[in-house]
Amino acid sequence: MEVKDIRNQLVKMLGRDKVLTEELDLMYYSYDSSFLTKLEPGKPTAVVLPTSTEEVQKVVRFAYENDIVIVPRGAGTGETGGCIAFKGGIVLDLSNWDEIVEIDASNMQVIVRPGVIHARLNEALAKYNLFFPPDPGSSQMCTVGGMVANNASGLRAVKYGCTEQYILGLEVVLSNGDVMMTGGMNARVIKNVSGLNLTKLMVGSEGVLGIITQIRLRCWPKPKARGIAMAVYDNLDDAPATVLEVYQAGILPSGIEILDSSAIMAVNQFKPEINLPDAEAILLIEVDGNPPSVDYEGNAIAEIAGQRARSVEWATDPKRMAELWEGRSVTATAAARVRADGSRIFAGEDISIPLSKVADVLRAIRALGNKYGIKVVNYGHIGDGNVHTAPVINPENPEEVEKVLQLVHEIHLLAIEMQGSTTGEHGVGAVRRQYAELEHGLAVEYMKGIKQTFDPKGIMNPEKLF
Amino acid sequence: MEFKELPPVKDQIMKCVRCGKCRSVCPVFAEIRNETAAPRGHVFMVQMLRDGIVEPDEAVAERLTTCLLCETCSVNCPSGIDIHELNAAARSYIYEKNPSLAKELVFDSLWTRPGLLRTSTKFLWGAQKTGLQSLARAIGLTKILPGDLPRAERMLTNVPVRSGRSQVSEINPARGERKYRVGYFLGCATDMFHPSVARATVDILTWHGCEVIVPRDTKCCGQPHIANGKMETARSLAAHNVKIFNSYDLDYIVTDCASCSAALSHKNMKFLLGGLKIEDQAMAFSEKAMDLTVFLTEVLDIEVPNAEIARKVKVTWHDPCHLANAQGVKQAPRELLKRIPGVEFVEMANANSCCGGSGTYCITHHDLSMKILDKKMERAMETGASKLVTCCPSCIMQLNFGAQRHKWNAEVVHIVDLLSPFYKALPKKAASQ
Ligand SMILES: Cc1cc2nc3c(=O)[nH]c(=O)nc-3n(C[C@H](O)[C@H](O)[C@H](O)COP(=O)(O)OP(=O)(O)OC[C@H]3O[C@@H](n4cnc5c(N)ncnc54)[C@H](O)[C@@H]3O)c2cc1C
Ligand code: SF4
Ligand code: SF4
Repeated sequence: MEVKDIRNQLVKMLGRDKVLTEELDLMYYSYDSSFLTKLEPGKPTAVVLPTSTEEVQKVVRFAYENDIVIVPRGAGTGETGGCIAFKGGIVLDLSNWDEIVEIDASNMQVIVRPGVIHARLNEALAKYNLFFPPDPGSSQMCTVGGMVANNASGLRAVKYGCTEQYILGLEVVLSNGDVMMTGGMNARVIKNVSGLNLTKLMVGSEGVLGIITQIRLRCWPKPKARGIAMAVYDNLDDAPATVLEVYQAGILPSGIEILDSSAIMAVNQFKPEINLPDAEAILLIEVDGNPPSVDYEGNAIAEIAGQRARSVEWATDPKRMAELWEGRSVTATAAARVRADGSRIFAGEDISIPLSKVADVLRAIRALGNKYGIKVVNYGHIGDGNVHTAPVINPENPEEVEKVLQLVHEIHLLAIEMQGSTTGEHGVGAVRRQYAELEHGLAVEYMKGIKQTFDPKGIMNPEKLF
Repeated sequence: MEFKELPPVKDQIMKCVRCGKCRSVCPVFAEIRNETAAPRGHVFMVQMLRDGIVEPDEAVAERLTTCLLCETCSVNCPSGIDIHELNAAARSYIYEKNPSLAKELVFDSLWTRPGLLRTSTKFLWGAQKTGLQSLARAIGLTKILPGDLPRAERMLTNVPVRSGRSQVSEINPARGERKYRVGYFLGCATDMFHPSVARATVDILTWHGCEVIVPRDTKCCGQPHIANGKMETARSLAAHNVKIFNSYDLDYIVTDCASCSAALSHKNMKFLLGGLKIEDQAMAFSEKAMDLTVFLTEVLDIEVPNAEIARKVKVTWHDPCHLANAQGVKQAPRELLKRIPGVEFVEMANANSCCGGSGTYCITHHDLSMKILDKKMERAMETGASKLVTCCPSCIMQLNFGAQRHKWNAEVVHIVDLLSPFYKALPKKAASQ
């Protein structure tokens, strides 16, 4: 079908206001937050902005009948090029469709449309003393649909897990335009083991199996109290050792974050007034729950960490907590500003490694940075082994770009070699699919088989994930 | 300077990691809701312009000018990008390449010559009688006021017959002992629409021991020109004003208009005049320049006289973007409000969200501007205040219109208007020599 006709048909279906067809407008949809799309932007053939299941169905059915690629998109904060139509196709920008359909507080659940912004959902739930625990750093901007599609999580995943644990059921528009309800989409239950678990299959499917148009989420009661411990280490190995010892003491903190020396330096350079102590590593351990248990666990953590750390401070005063946490909260920003004539990039930014190997991997990444002459800033969710590496380069210098791509490749290989994964939370998309065979072997064939069942024509977000 | 060589274009575009943080704070994106209106979209498009991938044409200008230049994105960008400066620079580049798109008459002639501009207030005054459309036709204003004239007409503030400048002297001696010699930058809008503010500002400053110099031949601060892609004109205006003020021996330079104080600030001077011969002079100038609210609270640390005449009044504050975002000034006006006897201050939710006025934006993008305004008014009305206070004439015009639109009977006033009665009631203090 001619491009012109595709565009005309879409306008006929959804109306002028919900379809972008001008070349200039389409260019704005050629990127997400990945470094890849800075190098290789991918312009779609058209963008549609549906706000109902029927509208999504119409577009998908049309695409199916005419063999046109469909790429769902939330807020475009993914770091893998997942929402990009690299070879053209129709992008479904679902970020407009942000209705909170129902908060069923008495059953501890909520139904949302895919475009609801994570932070807005939690604001609405807070009125009922509820929350949706996964907390990505992109909470203010990413959509819940994007979170489901990427199985996102955040720094509290160590206690609260990932998005998948909270999805009770989904409404999905399949590649032929049919609507499928999975799991408990039409029920109001929390426990439900009937049938093959298609909900879990859809979570993390990155738009390659269908378009998620409605989500039933389980919510949790909001904890009443929090406290934060900061431990400062002269020896990097002592940081993961503390983490293990905290677990062994029967304590499950709600967040355990690490800043290595590169991150400490970046933070101090960005905001000298934060004045983090010069050290090999800093751990920030957050505990939440009811006040007595928070106190008990905080004091226990301080004692455990104190056996290895140069210094430990435990705080429950909100002002002091904010001060302790500030170093962590500005790390990403600080990483972006390490070099006046450069920037951090989102590439190789999300490996996941066994806790027992965290220190070795951090050292290895530092060595790789030296090998390529590239500054790297390391921080992350050490509690579950999720390391965020921020390479800092001049992204407009071709030599630096070439080097950083090699560096990033080596970081991904390192993760696999260390029995880790190339991605702990951001997903695979286009940037990490080259590692699928290496990570999953035979399983990739079965993934492809599943894709074939859901999407026989191969129009749903092709060339992503595997 | 060539577009590609401008500091933000040269150094900052590459810093955008497209994280989307700016999407979450942009008032325009919240309405348009597709990527073409996202701040990072603007950064991307400026990059495309820089790299010659798109042409500097009307279509690109149309997308870029949906932006209010409110700077909310810039202050929230983790990579420290001055997104609004990139946008302004790109507009200017496009207009340079397409003179026919530019708003030549208004911004190059009318708004650069104070005399003409003042004459035009008479026109505006006439416009209230004869209709904005006929006036616009008469002076070529239709170029910047496409389509929405009948609606825009309703927005015009009452234009006083006498300008502010005609009511204040060039040299106003301090009352009592002189502490400082202060240059007062009397902006166009205060001059035209709020002459009483100009008078009161001089009264307040002189009462607190300032000799106030109001240079006669200052020109517009250049903000409207930056917003409308006339960077070269903005540069020459800024250079002119720098020279005029530097010719006096001043301790401070103050202005009661938030947009002007942003224009006079170090950051904007750097943006406009950085790298030019006049840079050092401009830096010396901007080091002395500040918003009146900061000057009154932080330098003069004033105590408002005549507390006995105070009447109880519940007020709320709207942060002008040019004050809160461009200059990071939020505390000073609140502190000043708290020092005004009788004032009960209530904070409104999101006080620093843009009102959607942004100079001519409320006319060029009327519908969008009204949606942004409606959100602002909702939050203002929730406070139950009887006065909505701010310090930017453009915001005052927009908020006034909002109050009418929502049939809210609160008064929209300049902060100086709240202070003014306390100084009017004063006994005469001897002027210093
Ligand atoms: C600064 C920053 C911090 C971040 N921090 C975290 C973090 O802490 N944890 C984390 O997990 N991630 C993080 N991310 C990554 C990203 O924000 C998440 O993956 C997020 O869930 C993506 O949501 P989105 O709405 O932007 O989706 P998009 O980027 O638009 O899309 C992501 C993928 O989901 C698919 N998709 C989107 N909507 C749908 C739908 N309705 N149906 C089917 N498929 C769909 C797209 O095709 C694409 O493959 C961060 C990103 C940034 C820029
Ligand atoms: S917040 Fe800054 S770095 Fe992030 S997308 Fe916007 S402009 Fe780019
Ligand atoms: S300056 Fe204001 S309107 Fe313009 S892009 Fe930034 S936040 Fe949006």
